[in-house]
Amino acid sequence: MKHLLATAALICAAQPALANRVFITNERSNDITVLDGESFEVIGTYPAGNRPRGIAISPDGTELYVCVSDDDLVRVFDPQTMEEMHTLPSGPDPELFVLHPSGNPLFIANEDDNIVTVVDTKTHQMLAEIPVGVEPEGMGVSPDGRVVINTSETTNMAHFIDTETYEITANVLVDSRPRFAQYTADGSKLYVTSEIGGTVSVIDPVTQQITKKISFDIPGVLPEAIQPVGARVTSDGSKLFVALGPANRVAVIDAATDEVIDYLLVGQRVWQLAFSPDEKYLYTTNGNSNDVSIIDVAANEVVRSVPVGQQPWGVVVAPD
Amino acid sequence: MIRIPLLLALLAAAPAHAAIGSDPDWPCIQRKQPHLSLGQLWTGPVPDEQVMELAETPPIAQLAARLEQRRLPLDQAATLIGDFAQGADDRQLTALMQAIFTRIERDRSALIAGISRYGRAQVALADRIKDRRTRFEEMQAAPSPDFDAIDVEEEALDWDMRIFQDRQKSLTYVCETPVILEQRAFALGREIAGHLD
Repeated sequence: MKHLLATAALICAAQPALANRVFITNERSNDITVLDGESFEVIGTYPAGNRPRGIAISPDGTELYVCVSDDDLVRVFDPQTMEEMHTLPSGPDPELFVLHPSGNPLFIANEDDNIVTVVDTKTHQMLAEIPVGVEPEGMGVSPDGRVVINTSETTNMAHFIDTETYEITANVLVDSRPRFAQYTADGSKLYVTSEIGGTVSVIDPVTQQITKKISFDIPGVLPEAIQPVGARVTSDGSKLFVALGPANRVAVIDAATDEVIDYLLVGQRVWQLAFSPDEKYLYTTNGNSNDVSIIDVAANEVVRSVPVGQQPWGVVVAPD
Repeated sequence: MIRIPLLLALLAAAPAHAAIGSDPDWPCIQRKQPHLSLGQLWTGPVPDEQVMELAETPPIAQLAARLEQRRLPLDQAATLIGDFAQGADDRQLTALMQAIFTRIERDRSALIAGISRYGRAQVALADRIKDRRTRFEEMQAAPSPDFDAIDVEEEALDWDMRIFQDRQKSLTYVCETPVILEQRAFALGREIAGHLD
């Protein structure tokens, strides 16, 4: 029986599955690099339009969404073939977006117009435009899908948006230039990174109060080079990883205590992060060294760097 | 008349670049990062005083000077580092990294200062073009225009605009140079770190 199961597992593994493929937007070379998440080899590079940045994949892995900033739209690709299927309206200069956990709708930050655009991924229609603070940027969604967080760079706020009414229900003032919002999987904490403030605010989503601010101090690195951007937390809530931009480091944080454990040297201008589906690996996009670093999550160790396109920006991994 | 909207667009574009950073003299779209720090490039040992001195001894300083040169391809640089590493301990490798860092940081700082000067010169030139434009319009609107003087003013305006536009075109490359230096420092650091015990 054991033998049979092992054989079945091997057969499943041998399927040309989409699972564990890694998609990286390259802001400058205007393409998407696809990596094999097992071998870390580049499978291919595909055109993406002008200045691709934010990237997301549907929960069923059938649609790959890319914010194509200079084309003012979202392009939707078949992740298997990398053929463009259709486009979605996005409002001007879309940079970052977040997909509702159900796969619909898509919430897109429009930096120039100070709005968040809501788009139905099935009908391809725009559902709403929500006015937010000045220069909206980071987007996060609560695990139950009821709240979307948008951070505004100039207003320095995290806006809590009700996903049914599209109303802003709360605003939390954080440090300068908030860039990214990330909930824990159980929804008990919200992390908001501040690029210029150099901190991560830990917010209680129920009271909308800041319970702690994580700051960073790296020996031998000037404080102004420490610019927190992308953040990801393991689904068991044990570890938080924060990309520190031109410090070229990813901070590893004990998410139980929110204390920094380590700083890992990755590539240059580390921007966004994504876990493999089993959370064994964390991928980082390094905009200035034009590569992706692969971190062994359990070991807190960089195991590989893979050259990709010019100025890698966003990263997403296909679900299992 | 095509020139005027173009000029206005260019003049409008200049402060837009500056507005991205907090430094009004900084003309680049990239954030200004005045200085690099060794920790951005290196997780090896922190150089102590002796290693700093070692970094300036002739064999290491000369190798660093050679590795710093951008005309030396990175694969050849890797070979040179590999040869050095064969007879070197971690202190010597750290000293080599420090020596490279000192040189690249010095060059990069000079470059950043140069870009700021460049930015200031563009702002000054933009102001001068605006003044010339105003004067030119006043001269044209005069009850009895001095056409010779208008011609002289127009020629001066043409030259200033040409210089402004040429400099704007060079800006993309100029602004990328600090990043190119950072990339080299990082790549060399990664290579040296690969030989640490």
